[in-house]
Amino acid sequence: MNINIKFEDQHTYDAIVIGSGMTGGIAAKELTEKGLKVLIIERGKEVEHVKDYDTAFKAPWEIQHRDKVPVHSAEELWANNRFVGLAQDDKAHFMTNDKQNPYIEKKPFDWIRAYHTGGKSMHWGRHSYRWNKQDFEANAKDGIGVDWPIRYEDIAPWYSHVEKFVGVNGQKNNLDVLPDGDFLPPMLMLEPERYFVDKVQKTLNRPVIIGRTANLSRAQPWHTALGRATCQYRNKCSRGCPYGAYYSSLSGAIPAAKLTKRLSILHDSIVTEIIYDEAGGKAKGVRTINQHTLQTTEYYAKVIFVNAGSMNSAALLLNSTSKRFPNGLGNDSDQVGRNIMDHHLGVGANATIEGFEDDFMYGQRPNSLYIPRFRNWGADKQNNYIRGFGYQGGASRADWKRGIAADGFGAAFKKEMTKVGSWSIGFGGFGEVLPNPNNRMYLDTTQKDKWGIPLIVFDASFGDNEIAMRKDMANAAAEMLDAAGFKNITKNNRQDVHLGLGIHEMGTARMGRDPKTSVLNKFNQVHDCKNVFVTDGAAMASSSCVNPSLTYMALTARAANHAVEELKKRSI
Amino acid sequence: MLSNNKNLKMERREVIKNIALMVGGSISLPTLMAMKLHESGLSNSLDFTLSASQRKLLAEVAEIIIPRTDTPGAIDAGVPAFIEMMLKDCYTLPEHQSFLEGLDALNSKDFLNKNMADKISILTAVEQESKALMKAYNVKQTKMGDNEDKELMNAQKKGLPFWRLIKELTLLGYFTSKVGVNASFEFVLVPGRFELVKLKPGQKMFAY
Repeated sequence: MNINIKFEDQHTYDAIVIGSGMTGGIAAKELTEKGLKVLIIERGKEVEHVKDYDTAFKAPWEIQHRDKVPVHSAEELWANNRFVGLAQDDKAHFMTNDKQNPYIEKKPFDWIRAYHTGGKSMHWGRHSYRWNKQDFEANAKDGIGVDWPIRYEDIAPWYSHVEKFVGVNGQKNNLDVLPDGDFLPPMLMLEPERYFVDKVQKTLNRPVIIGRTANLSRAQPWHTALGRATCQYRNKCSRGCPYGAYYSSLSGAIPAAKLTKRLSILHDSIVTEIIYDEAGGKAKGVRTINQHTLQTTEYYAKVIFVNAGSMNSAALLLNSTSKRFPNGLGNDSDQVGRNIMDHHLGVGANATIEGFEDDFMYGQRPNSLYIPRFRNWGADKQNNYIRGFGYQGGASRADWKRGIAADGFGAAFKKEMTKVGSWSIGFGGFGEVLPNPNNRMYLDTTQKDKWGIPLIVFDASFGDNEIAMRKDMANAAAEMLDAAGFKNITKNNRQDVHLGLGIHEMGTARMGRDPKTSVLNKFNQVHDCKNVFVTDGAAMASSSCVNPSLTYMALTARAANHAVEELKKRSI
Repeated sequence: MLSNNKNLKMERREVIKNIALMVGGSISLPTLMAMKLHESGLSNSLDFTLSASQRKLLAEVAEIIIPRTDTPGAIDAGVPAFIEMMLKDCYTLPEHQSFLEGLDALNSKDFLNKNMADKISILTAVEQESKALMKAYNVKQTKMGDNEDKELMNAQKKGLPFWRLIKELTLLGYFTSKVGVNASFEFVLVPGRFELVKLKPGQKMFAY
């Protein structure tokens, strides 16, 4: 009996945060800063900020296979390798081994995972945009999915809170479609990009802006206090930044939480189940299994934040069955695992640019241009699809790679390849995906992984709205390049793209007003199990078309604040 | 142990043959030779290795693509060994087959014994044939959202053409080697800033 009490004491925290990625980091930071003793449980290996970024300073010749993917890596990382670059030598060791962590594709699903400290926050594209007012109203207006239980005004202060903390560079553009935030100085546009911006504004009355990314264009005192420095313009973010100049859980939230001395982190521990206390009517803790030793343990807390990544968070709810929740924790509505959304991409256009021969740049900008949504916005009305898309892209000058497909070899050719090539420009779209209850993931009833956890089955695909939108995404990109007078315009619309490849997978435990049709309430609490908060992408009721991490983080900070208030009131 | 190993090799040979039958209907002589080399234990390669004469030919072609001038050439930069390693590690049977057949075709023209002018005209012809093949394979560059390039092409029984493989790998090997980068570009490990600059006449490209 005594031993048991001691065990529970040592394993009891104020809050447990499941996952150390984009939202788990923010949850831990907010909760510890508000005085809670927090345990982060991370399923993957420990990655130490800076120390473990072992490829960060490698010269090109020190990366054995350069930008090619060895056959062995392509096999081990069969899913990650569907996204260009992730299985390359300089970062493959951070990505999840798909062979050892299998999933089932009833329909193809491009599931990109990074099981380690910081998760995908170490690898993200860093573009950080606020949703606009209409994004939160769109479901209600269109009669699609469920209405968001919050509006822009509810989240706006939390956007500011997160923007300041992570450090987002950008220009205030005063656009309703893309609200301004609390920005660090914007990054520069290249000369031909300025020309493009001007032409598109004049001919199509369409704003093109410099991207807003979570790279410190000028580190502020609260950034340097965490050991973060101003961007060095190497654009090797994906290897991990030794300067902490781009935001990740590793460079920002976890160091901030550690400063409070109230954070513990457990690695290599997979949460298999959230333990529901039938008598108390709430969750009391979690059950874990060590990924190496297979030892199972329990941890207890007053509050549990589920931040395992949208698909894994839903899988965890589904795997947490009890008398009260026989179909999975919080799954009274049967919506857990449904409504998988993402942003569809791999569609856009490229062109060549004549002139600007003398214009060049020093350094590599970890950013691009951004073209905010203009479809089904204001006076624009499309008849064959609803919602819209944005583009990322920009101009570049050709390097020696232009020689691969060009004619020629020998001394003169070799000399030519050392010179700066001509300009080209290209844009790729990110399109909104609609929530559809038939786009779902669920747990397989027979097949399990090596830890005894049922495998996830994906059964989701793009619908008519997305397919119609893609055509327009290629055409509209070409139209803008044409408006700027660029030449050799080529459109592309990749057909090998599936849900998941945007790495913005979301929607599997949606927020809503009605427990009968949604999983979470307006503070990301599981309906009828209010001490469990799901604050990663699973919570999303619609997808907008802007990159989602900033919104996930803002929702997380807001939910953490609410959790602490409720704890103080003893109402959870 | 020894016999086990032999069985494994036999099995692998059968597997490769079967794959070749599935994709191409026949298996090329160079591939069979490569397999034989492998089985004789001369290489630890799974399914790709070059003989001494093939290596000589590969080095000669790479050096013609990037010759030593006032700066080092492909051989100085270790490109031939790089190409062999890359083919072994990053490509599969269709490309191996295509590459070995390409070397074979040059051999049948007695390439190594020709004078430089003839060598250049042979390779110029190979380049043009390869261009036609690439067009037929429908090779396309596409942009991903974050401005990443991806190359798509129709599935091919024989993989990328020999010339495309050797040219791409020669350029990649040379322009990313320490020797090649330092001879060709201004290498900047930590730029520290991003600024718009005007190109000066003859200015080298930056490498990062």
